[in-house]
Amino acid sequence: MTRPLVLTLALGLLFVTGCKKTNGGAKPEASASASGSAASVGSVSPTTPSPPHLTGDSERGRSLVEKFECSRCHDGTGLAASPLEKHCVTCHQEIWTDKFKAKPDKIAKWKKTVVHYLNAPSFENAGERLEPAFVSAFLLRPHKLRPNMVSTMPRLRISEQEAADVAAYLTRGAKTAAEPAAGDLTAGRQVLETKACGTCHTFSGVPALPVQPSLATPWQKGNDAIELAPDLRFTRDRITFGKLWRWLLDPAKVKPSTLMPKLGLSEKEAKDAAAYLLGTPLAPVAKKPIPARLPVLERKVTFEDVDREVLQKTCRHCHTNPDIARGDGGPGMTGGFGFIPRKLDFSTYESTNGGLLDLKGERMSVFTKTKDGTPLLVAAVLARQKEEAGEIDPEARGMPLGLPALTAEQVQIIESWVAQGRPQ
Amino acid sequence: MKKLGAVMMVAVSAFAAVGSVASDAKACGGEWVPAVEIDHRPEGIARAEKVLKKGEHAAAAAMIIRMMPHVKDLKAKKDGTLVARAQRILALSVARNNGALPIDKELPSYVQGTWIGKSDKDKATNLEWSVAALRKLNDIKKDDAAVQSDLAEALAKVEKHRGEAKAMLEKLAEKDLIATPEAYATLADLRSAAGDSEGQKVALKRCESMAKSANVCRASA
Repeated sequence: MTRPLVLTLALGLLFVTGCKKTNGGAKPEASASASGSAASVGSVSPTTPSPPHLTGDSERGRSLVEKFECSRCHDGTGLAASPLEKHCVTCHQEIWTDKFKAKPDKIAKWKKTVVHYLNAPSFENAGERLEPAFVSAFLLRPHKLRPNMVSTMPRLRISEQEAADVAAYLTRGAKTAAEPAAGDLTAGRQVLETKACGTCHTFSGVPALPVQPSLATPWQKGNDAIELAPDLRFTRDRITFGKLWRWLLDPAKVKPSTLMPKLGLSEKEAKDAAAYLLGTPLAPVAKKPIPARLPVLERKVTFEDVDREVLQKTCRHCHTNPDIARGDGGPGMTGGFGFIPRKLDFSTYESTNGGLLDLKGERMSVFTKTKDGTPLLVAAVLARQKEEAGEIDPEARGMPLGLPALTAEQVQIIESWVAQGRPQ
Repeated sequence: MKKLGAVMMVAVSAFAAVGSVASDAKACGGEWVPAVEIDHRPEGIARAEKVLKKGEHAAAAAMIIRMMPHVKDLKAKKDGTLVARAQRILALSVARNNGALPIDKELPSYVQGTWIGKSDKDKATNLEWSVAALRKLNDIKKDDAAVQSDLAEALAKVEKHRGEAKAMLEKLAEKDLIATPEAYATLADLRSAAGDSEGQKVALKRCESMAKSANVCRASA
């Protein structure tokens, strides 16, 4: 079998979503123990309980989708795509494919760090695949849904009502259809094994799914389908039984742009697979551990160290001076994704010391002590480590936003530098 | 008919001239290669910024004046432009050298102007320009603590502006927004002049913890 065909078959469960109204032979207790409280390494959902889902207003949601600039990353929002200089995914993809207009040495340099936002799921016909309650909860508490994707949904400054409104807009127009009869869990497991769904999908909390041998290679950048494949653990949070069944029968009929292939399932096989996905008991999985905070270094740490190890690699893309770099300085500088301009510029020693604007527009130091005495910058990077472990800190938004947390060693570099009085 | 003949002759001559140029160019390498004028100033200014960071203020100033002899008369319209960056480097260099740049051996006499600061009047002129240039940048950037730190440093070098300099730095210090060790050294100096020896020590300590070289803070000790 050719590689593309195998890949096509194996991608069978891409973008599968789940439901809480288990109509697939699921045991209620199994459903209750699903992803909401358990988490796995690489597939962590927040341990903070989700608020009850509010009824959203689709019209308001449309305005909010504009405000939060969802189309900077996602297609299928119903709004015009952002221009290249603002479109994270298109811009990064152009860099990766050498289409971006820049000198080759620049492209080569950027490729080393542009490993994120190479893909983002499309909202095309999302109402047939996603439940508004899931979308709303995910916006409020984004978590690692796609184990092979470096980036995650950024944690926006969004209220519960706004999240419900956005969810209502994105899932608008969902049709109601008769739910099929329940399927068989054991047979469903067999379907997932036969179709080698594990080649692309992780399904944490169940015995590992077999992979198609010819595709059993480590994830590679550029393999869009594998990158976009969600952890099937969360399926039951995302879709109803009937919608999942229809999706499994013919994904492209539901979402024409999907990379999920048509698996050639019979109606019974689709029902069984859906039953297994939504109803099989999920074992609790370990939370991603929060790295232990390392002691402050004895040796002198300079700004050059912090710049080289952290700022250049991670922070500067969103926090830089628009006058000396291409683009608008990033959302952390000039605003974006619903965030007001904070004017936080990590491009030089002086600008880093020069602080940021608070929510009232007053300038404040990025080293201001938080309630527990931790400097704000350190608190933000620690908050991201907690977010990855499923803990949302209401006091601090984790940074880098939507990207992997800094390592303990990187945090140590920053903390040491601050503790030493921020040497040049 | 005579007129037409003259026009034809001119046209033929022009064609022949163009043809001969093309032929010469081809002889040099087979293709016409346009001469490209490279602007070295962006690289030069970036280098001057690094030199300034090393504390070699006079050298940084000389680099700027050599690249832009008329820098004093230019108007920065936007932050980050070459003019704005060049003026910042020069203004800080002037302030940190108290208005007299020891660069007479690095600059031809016809561009030295008042920069050498041979007289008190020249020094005062230079410092006033430094203040004016940084004020302009501050207006452009608006609420920027790094620019304010630079401006306060220059203000402190002019007697009539020292009060303004101290107020500006105290406000920044209160919020931990002083961006450079030099500005902390300036604050230490201003506090000392105001009889605040405890405050001077605190500012000096901050300067010492930030500065690469203790020399930056020594003048205020």
